Amino acid sequence: MTAMQHLERSAFLFMAIGLVLYAGLSFGCERLLFRNGHSNALYKIATAPPAADYDWLVLGASHAMPLDFDDFNAFMQHETGLRIINLASPGTGPLYNRFVLQSFLRAHRAGNLLYVVDSFGFWSRAWNEDRFADVKLIRGTPFAPATVALMSDYVRNDGVSPKALLDYVSGFSKVNNRDRFQRDAWEGEAQFDRVYRPSVSAVTKRIAYLYPDPQAPAVLAHYVDVFGGLVAIAQQHDTRVVAVKLPAPAQFRNQLRGEAAFDDSLARILAERAVPLLDFSTELDDPSFYFDTDHLNRTGLTELFQRRLKTLLMM
Amino acid sequence: MLFTSLEFFIFLPLVIAVFRIVPVAQRWAVLLLASYVFYGFLHPFNLVYLGAVTLVIYLCGRWLARTEKPSGRAAVLAGGLVVVLGSLTAFKFYDFVAGEISAANLIPHFALPRLGLTAPAGFSFYAFSAASYLIDIYAGRLTAQQKLAGTVLFVAYFPKIFAGPIERATTFLPQLWSGLRSDSKRIVLGLQLIGWGLFKKVVIADNLAQMVDHTFSIVSFAPPVELLLGSYFFAFQIYCDFSGYTDIALGASSLFGLTLMENFRRPYLSRSTAEFWGERWHISLSHWFRDYLYIPLGGSRAGPLRRAANVMIVFLVSGLWHAGLGYGVGWTFLIWGALNGFYQWAGLATRRLWRRVGEALPRVKSSAALAVLRAVITFHLITIAWVFFRAASIHDALVVLRRIGARLGDLPSLFAIYPFSTEQLTAFGLIAFLIGYEIVDERRPVFQRLADAPVAVRWGAYYLLIFALLLLGRWQAKEFIYMQF
Repeated sequence: MTAMQHLERSAFLFMAIGLVLYAGLSFGCERLLFRNGHSNALYKIATAPPAADYDWLVLGASHAMPLDFDDFNAFMQHETGLRIINLASPGTGPLYNRFVLQSFLRAHRAGNLLYVVDSFGFWSRAWNEDRFADVKLIRGTPFAPATVALMSDYVRNDGVSPKALLDYVSGFSKVNNRDRFQRDAWEGEAQFDRVYRPSVSAVTKRIAYLYPDPQAPAVLAHYVDVFGGLVAIAQQHDTRVVAVKLPAPAQFRNQLRGEAAFDDSLARILAERAVPLLDFSTELDDPSFYFDTDHLNRTGLTELFQRRLKTLLMM
Repeated sequence: MLFTSLEFFIFLPLVIAVFRIVPVAQRWAVLLLASYVFYGFLHPFNLVYLGAVTLVIYLCGRWLARTEKPSGRAAVLAGGLVVVLGSLTAFKFYDFVAGEISAANLIPHFALPRLGLTAPAGFSFYAFSAASYLIDIYAGRLTAQQKLAGTVLFVAYFPKIFAGPIERATTFLPQLWSGLRSDSKRIVLGLQLIGWGLFKKVVIADNLAQMVDHTFSIVSFAPPVELLLGSYFFAFQIYCDFSGYTDIALGASSLFGLTLMENFRRPYLSRSTAEFWGERWHISLSHWFRDYLYIPLGGSRAGPLRRAANVMIVFLVSGLWHAGLGYGVGWTFLIWGALNGFYQWAGLATRRLWRRVGEALPRVKSSAALAVLRAVITFHLITIAWVFFRAASIHDALVVLRRIGARLGDLPSLFAIYPFSTEQLTAFGLIAFLIGYEIVDERRPVFQRLADAPVAVRWGAYYLLIFALLLLGRWQAKEFIYMQF
């Protein structure tokens, strides 16, 4: 045997052992996910009771997440006597939410869908296609062959990067997770009881972060169509859809970009699909209702719940 | 394409596969094509600069070969160097100089327009390689390439294009035309180097980078302990970032049967700043400056004053070359260069003293304790200079040094009460491991030790390295520091 042939055989054996070790490590990380999982939408779907039937499913970006912070979802369920599951994910527009909805409807059912709309999610692929490759989201997503199949569809049809699929299938981001022993909670949850002190520069930075791209009407039109598709999927499953705009402080609201164009496009698609839009955005202007520039804190949510949400949910 | 990206881990095996299929005589063509794909992957327009520089030096090289009149040869050389190094200077400094002139208001109501020039990645490196190609032809050390392909591949060769080593055509081209063959030993060495380079980059450098970036963004508010840690961490970050790149470049080349020059030789074990710069840190650049600037200026043969001036010129130019390295183009780099030049002056001035001490106390001179002490002092001198390199401004660098200096006496007690984070403790562990590794490597290379070790030990070490990369590495594609200029 030549030295090169010997090397090739050794390399093959080395890689085979390495793959076995990696598979073991990956399996361990997957188990760890079920120990530390918390706020990831796909994790919640995987750990929900089999074939669960909910009265309300909540979708949206981070502004919808406080509805499930701490014990607030339990509080709402107690107050209304309804079963509610919140699958909102940070920084996600309609494409990722459609993915979550499809994953949910594969195994469960909801009578109503409360979609918390945020204009920023309709202006950039950063909050849609690119979110599939976000390591924090992938880390919290349990491995399931059905999710692989669905994500493959998104890679083929919706411009999601194959890297995201490869990462998910290989479990790389879970193995390479520096916070592997910590609870998978969004950082905002720890601030739920905080009160925000207004800061112009913080709002400016936040707006720049939320709207990273120049606003192109074609981009808005595309994501509004994606949202229309999401509504159609829900309606095909006999799920009634309600769209809401949650409150935001005036300082933040006034800096939102392209809001009028967004409202027009949204109104058009909602009218086509006979979906009501409830605009609560001006409901709570006082900064004491927020834990940061734009997320409701416990006081703000409680106030909103008593004023509006309770009636809405019980309709 | 970054060495730490998924694209590279697909690209490299593909290139190797094609390389091995193709007959030996044509393998250079595979490398040439791969180099242009690699370099143009992120910004295809950068290929225009690369192509232009290559064409300029190829034509000037051919012209030099045909020209016999000394004044004509000098003119061709000067013309080629003006184009290559002049464009490098313009890319780096035009906007900075225009801004400084406007700020100083030297000419009322006059401001040079800002052009928003940005040098393409790796330009500083391949411009220096290109310049050496011309100078070597001019000096008769190299024959001008008949084939354009040789010059193209010399400039564009992908493992070295972003951050060196700054290779010489005199050693690179003969390897290219003598047939590119790789054997099992070279392949194993190549993979070892790539693995170790990745470890230094994604496990050590990129983990330290988080803390360094944070500390240097709040120099006025960070506690002195954190400033000190930030300075130490930066010293290791830049070393692991840069030498990690070099190791991967050397490793990838070894897979193709090419040997690039060694660029780092355990620099923090240096016992003087002269040893650091002359023999251990960024050796290809030091040698470039030695051969193409220091010696033509007269080197050390022109008397002590001239020699001192030459040393300072070299370090000031080196400072200018480093400007723009991800931390902006500022006066800090000139200070950094001057400070290192000053260290060399101090070294030259005390050289006789050290010799006398050695003669009077030979045992002391050869003692390990003195060697350690000298290495520690050298490391601290270099680290002080790094502060200027990393800080956003001279003011920030002085704030860092002043605030550390003011609490120097209290540091032991401050360390005792400082709440170290998990990241900092992990960083200490990684740095301790690195230092231990380098001490062992200094005595006998670790790769050699591994080659002689039983297979279980060898493979165990490889698996540990791979799983450290998987578990501790930061893979979110942070650029190499030296790629940014």
